[in-house]
Amino acid sequence: MKTETRALIVKIIQDEGSARPIELVKSLGISPQAIHRQLRSLVACGFLEPRGRGPMTRYFIAGAPQLNAALSWHASIARPAETQGEFLCQTRDVFTARLGRLSLFTRMGLKEDELPLIISMTGEIGNNCFDHNLGNWRDVPGCWFEAQASGGRLWICVADRGQGVFRSLTRADPTIPDEQAALVAAFERTLSGRTPENRGNGLKFVRNIIVASVGRGLACRSGAGLVERGRLGAECSKELTRFPSQPGGTITLILWSLK
Amino acid sequence: MRIMLKQYGDILTSRPAGREAALAMKARLRPAAGKKIELDFDGVLSVGPSWLDEVLRALQADYGRDGVICLPTKNLSVIESLKVIGR
Repeated sequence: MKTETRALIVKIIQDEGSARPIELVKSLGISPQAIHRQLRSLVACGFLEPRGRGPMTRYFIAGAPQLNAALSWHASIARPAETQGEFLCQTRDVFTARLGRLSLFTRMGLKEDELPLIISMTGEIGNNCFDHNLGNWRDVPGCWFEAQASGGRLWICVADRGQGVFRSLTRADPTIPDEQAALVAAFERTLSGRTPENRGNGLKFVRNIIVASVGRGLACRSGAGLVERGRLGAECSKELTRFPSQPGGTITLILWSLK
Repeated sequence: MRIMLKQYGDILTSRPAGREAALAMKARLRPAAGKKIELDFDGVLSVGPSWLDEVLRALQADYGRDGVICLPTKNLSVIESLKVIGR
């Protein structure tokens, strides 16, 4: 019975992204005492992670990212609000300034010597949003930049509502057949939608860093295209495919194991 | 002649910022004949290949590939950036 209840709790939290104890009491129809006992047990086993205090405490799957806000913003068909203050960087300057926030994760296990790599890699991805979409956004200008640590893992999400990789790269190489091929080319070839400027090595830099260690992964989705790199890339892909693709824009999810 | 890159910020990532930094450097550079330009990364938190490519490309256009050197550093972002831009 206990195992069954725990499985149901985990299932609800997986489906909903998170849950408060009172919500679980209502959903499962068992006593608050029993719910709290099961939650304590699941936290002790490392399955769940509490966030917040007192009655506002919410329980999340440990090690999993909370991407509902980012993915909803990215995948929304309608124009999303521009007042997503904490995560939406409307200009490159705002994005660059917020890159420094990644330093906070050294307190959560990110190695000091890996911090420069994380910042430069995230910087390359975010700067691409501006390089390839400036003056050409679909609706909301800027990029979404969010980082969170959970269960010994750092998740970084960078997304934009721009033209997408395919439309950008086919300006340089009209033979690229589709969105999937465009994404592969972006990570493997020295090619840029900003031709004739001599550039196009940022994502190769990102790929090199991701594949250099087993505790790293990345997935990038643009329209119907999806690529993953690194040992943990499949986990990133799984998160991105929870949401419908939309005909433009690019979203990248990075997973980095902490100590 | 040594350029302390921390004067340009502690996070050096984008091409526009690299171009701007290179222009500022070139406006002040007066290297003595035969002296190399040394880029010193001490105190810089992170460097991206886009920023570094813009700076190296601009300086090497004026002072030659051998006239500009990157001083040794343990900063992994610099090491990886130099590998990918091949300079």
